[in-house]
Amino acid sequence: MLYEFRYLSPRTLPDLLATLAEHAADGQVLAGGTDLLPNIRNGIRKPAFVIDSKLYPGAADLRWSESEGLHIGPAATISDVMRNKTARELFPTLCACAHELASHQVRNRATVAGNVVNASPCSDMAPALLCLGARAIVERAGGDRRELAFAGFFAGVKKTVLRPGEYLSGIVVPASAAKAKGRYLKLKRIAGHDLGIVGVLMTEKDGVLRFGVSSAAPTPVLVETVARKDGPEEAVRKVLASVSPIDDVRSTKAYREHMIGVYVRRLLEEVR
Amino acid sequence: MRIRLSVNGQVYARDVEEHRTLLRFLREDLGLPGTKEGCGMGECGACTVIYNGRAVNACMVLAVEADGATIETIEGEAKGDSLSDIQAAFERNHAVQCGFCTPGMVMSVKELLRENPKPDDDEIKEAIEGNFCRCTGYTQIIEAVRDLTGRSGEKGGLEHV
Repeated sequence: MLYEFRYLSPRTLPDLLATLAEHAADGQVLAGGTDLLPNIRNGIRKPAFVIDSKLYPGAADLRWSESEGLHIGPAATISDVMRNKTARELFPTLCACAHELASHQVRNRATVAGNVVNASPCSDMAPALLCLGARAIVERAGGDRRELAFAGFFAGVKKTVLRPGEYLSGIVVPASAAKAKGRYLKLKRIAGHDLGIVGVLMTEKDGVLRFGVSSAAPTPVLVETVARKDGPEEAVRKVLASVSPIDDVRSTKAYREHMIGVYVRRLLEEVR
Repeated sequence: MRIRLSVNGQVYARDVEEHRTLLRFLREDLGLPGTKEGCGMGECGACTVIYNGRAVNACMVLAVEADGATIETIEGEAKGDSLSDIQAAFERNHAVQCGFCTPGMVMSVKELLRENPKPDDDEIKEAIEGNFCRCTGYTQIIEAVRDLTGRSGEKGGLEHV
């Protein structure tokens, strides 16, 4: 059923980075596999090498420090975040978005890093990482390392700014975003496992409102222009000005815009 | 590639093709066909097994990734002719019709009850949201799980299943 590829299992981060450099053109990172393996099965992806990124020590760690914040290792699963005491207490909106992602079985396997690296417009973790001001740690063989905000991470549908051979080796949710309140409203066809038609996260901390919107533009969108004093119609206008929903198999542009408005008004009511 | 893993308490060491899924490995290489293939892409949950304590879709795991893992499948439930508690509750509550979803459903319920012995209805529904059943309408399955948690006979309140 799956065509023949080679499975590579580097056991240290330097080995992983070297393997990624060597196979930048013909390799694919395997983290949770919940996106990659169905795509291989369906012939959408045809890597010659599948490179398991979960095997080096610490890859799945979740670490909290007051100076840095919450470090999410690249192999940490969606469930790992939802079960983590610090994440639940300090970053409830991160857990709220995690809770809406796919099914229980998928959450037990899929990783936070994979959800953002895939750069699907309907990523459920991206709204939280955008609103909380999270940063991506990006490494490459030879010691190159850079950090960038998720606000500049997504480049288009299924595209990120990662360059060939670069690896998302961690995600940092800053301590300054701790205890941000909020809620994620995701519209889907059934109550359980489904892709979103549209999703809106609103976070509020120290009187500052942020909206993270999924399934409404080529990339997940961060909206920082809504002020607390704005009326609901003004807030809806500002959010809609930042997105560009389309007609597709799951919904229409008009319905998506309508529901974004409904969700923004509903979320604002909760902070007033 | 040579892998070694535990399935239902028995250790197996086998050579396996690198592109083989855990699901195919269990069914065809180990001769454990209780775990079913429905969609083969993580939508239906018929292939649910417990992997290092967590319910996962075996169609989206490579057998080589499971090197060193501890796997539980439906074959580990009954002991001889004696059904496990979950299987017996499914039988008592008519939670099985065609039976194709049942092995995966049972494994999802097993993980749920191990972590949360007294789930409420919302927690039961969340635990099985990745397991599609096209026969029962879910009601009898939820009633079976209620039965397992000492709430047998509670029939109402499932209008939002």
